[in-house]
Amino acid sequence: MTSDQQLDHALDLMRRLPPQQIEKNLSDLIDLVPNLCEDLLSSVDQPLKIARDRENGKDYLLCDYNRDGDSYRSPWSNKYDPPLEDGAMPSERLRSLEIDANQAFDQYREMYFEGGVSSVYLWDLEHGFAGVILIKKVGDGSRKIKGCWDSIHVIEVQEKSSGRNAHYKLTSTVMLWLQTNKPGSGTMNLGGSLTRQTTQDASVSSDNPHIVNIGRMVEDMENKIRNTLNEIYFGKTNKIVADLRSVNARNVDQKQQEAFQSELATVMQKRQNKGDISN
Amino acid sequence: MAVDQDVALSDQQKVRIVTDFILHAPPGEFKEVLNDVRLLLNNDALLREQASGVFAQYFKDQLTPVKVEGSKYPTLISEYNELSGGRFYDPRSQQCFKYDPLKEETSDYSIWTPDPVSESWRSALECKWTTYCGEHFEKGVPAVFATSQRGSITLIACIEHHQFQPKNFWNGRWRSEWTVTINPEKTNSSSELKGTIKVQVHYYEDGNVQLVSSKEIKESINVMDEDQTTKEIVQKISEAEKEYQVAIADNYLSMSETTFKALRRQLPITKQKIDWNHLMSYKIASELKQH
Repeated sequence: MTSDQQLDHALDLMRRLPPQQIEKNLSDLIDLVPNLCEDLLSSVDQPLKIARDRENGKDYLLCDYNRDGDSYRSPWSNKYDPPLEDGAMPSERLRSLEIDANQAFDQYREMYFEGGVSSVYLWDLEHGFAGVILIKKVGDGSRKIKGCWDSIHVIEVQEKSSGRNAHYKLTSTVMLWLQTNKPGSGTMNLGGSLTRQTTQDASVSSDNPHIVNIGRMVEDMENKIRNTLNEIYFGKTNKIVADLRSVNARNVDQKQQEAFQSELATVMQKRQNKGDISN
Repeated sequence: MAVDQDVALSDQQKVRIVTDFILHAPPGEFKEVLNDVRLLLNNDALLREQASGVFAQYFKDQLTPVKVEGSKYPTLISEYNELSGGRFYDPRSQQCFKYDPLKEETSDYSIWTPDPVSESWRSALECKWTTYCGEHFEKGVPAVFATSQRGSITLIACIEHHQFQPKNFWNGRWRSEWTVTINPEKTNSSSELKGTIKVQVHYYEDGNVQLVSSKEIKESINVMDEDQTTKEIVQKISEAEKEYQVAIADNYLSMSETTFKALRRQLPITKQKIDWNHLMSYKIASELKQH
């Protein structure tokens, strides 16, 4: 068994086990197959954790992309916590783009989420760069329902040699967690994630910088995923539950169906008779 | 999440992880999860010797329906009708059989003799329970089991209903289990009816979304004659399951109308998508001001 095949099975398993225990399942899986550790940490999305930047008191988000060893880099102060002498850093040019991206997506977050925390991390690639845009919003728990949203947008940017065009590849995962425990309904835990991918070529100029291209892509993608989440969470799974048990006794439906079937049978019979005659 | 690669897991720890994964397989996905786990563990002997007990455990937990030879009614694999040696009994057809969880097949049938004290109560409840199940669960499988001890009778009524549509990337299952212990000689006494309802739905097209819901319920039953008491049991369960289902539907409405909307807007308050050029130029302007 190659480790590629093992990784496929590990990822299939993570797509099946209840997402509500994603962290425990992932840590068990890594214990079971330690050689897949790095692959699993970079390919299985987990709910985002929040940390506070000690320098300026601003919150930032933790993920595998701003981790080096056991330390995480803040996008605000650009420092690792716990401090790291030689932690991985973006190049100077990319750090300046990262600062702009953090400011832009901070505004984006405020306009769509009206709260929450966002962080953008960029890293250099051979012919361009890559980055992750993270947003987390925790609900206020009104109506005794806990809610939480995690966005993880991974973007890969290939800069063409002319410098005037770039190829963008966006992989977005949104995790939505809803949970309640009430006397009438008992425990109800509705959660998980959806992942979507898109690519785009766009021109790059001072009027149309990378952040504008990336911003539009992320905004469109997140709007689309929000619609899909709405359909799947509140349409699809709700309908499946309603189909598992009929709230009202099925007699009425059944009778209608039986009437329809006997009518159908009569029509079929007539057709058959006709066929018999013409033969 | 640093992993110490030097310390290999003991076989016991591996079995603990693997059995935990298997027991959490979503409805209808046991084979897929077992296959993943088997290839990741890469030790069939260990799986067979130490973990195979959880296969049967999984099918009992899930209240798995099985066809019964010579009977038009299926029954359920559960902890309540388990005999020794991997055998289970079907009280309706009064047979017992061996159940193979990997093949999901029954075999080796023989006659099973019911408990004489509780059987008439059991079959009275079974009759009404089957009618109730047919009214509310399209392809649901009902089963009623009973035991007796020093004159008191314990009745257990279960329903399983699932819809598996792996081609459309979703599976769902409803399970309910209800238990009541009565003393037929003490008429007009009250007994406690205890129930658990579990619903799980898995949607997995380009994602993994699950509904995991459960509710514990307690009701009180007034003990009369066989017919009256079993009628009341089914009536109380019917009301309780309806109340649960209506409450779940209410939660769906609140989650969608309130919680979801408060997490992220469909569009910004301007009702227009963001003008990113403007947003960036605004930023540059404010930076220029500062300098």
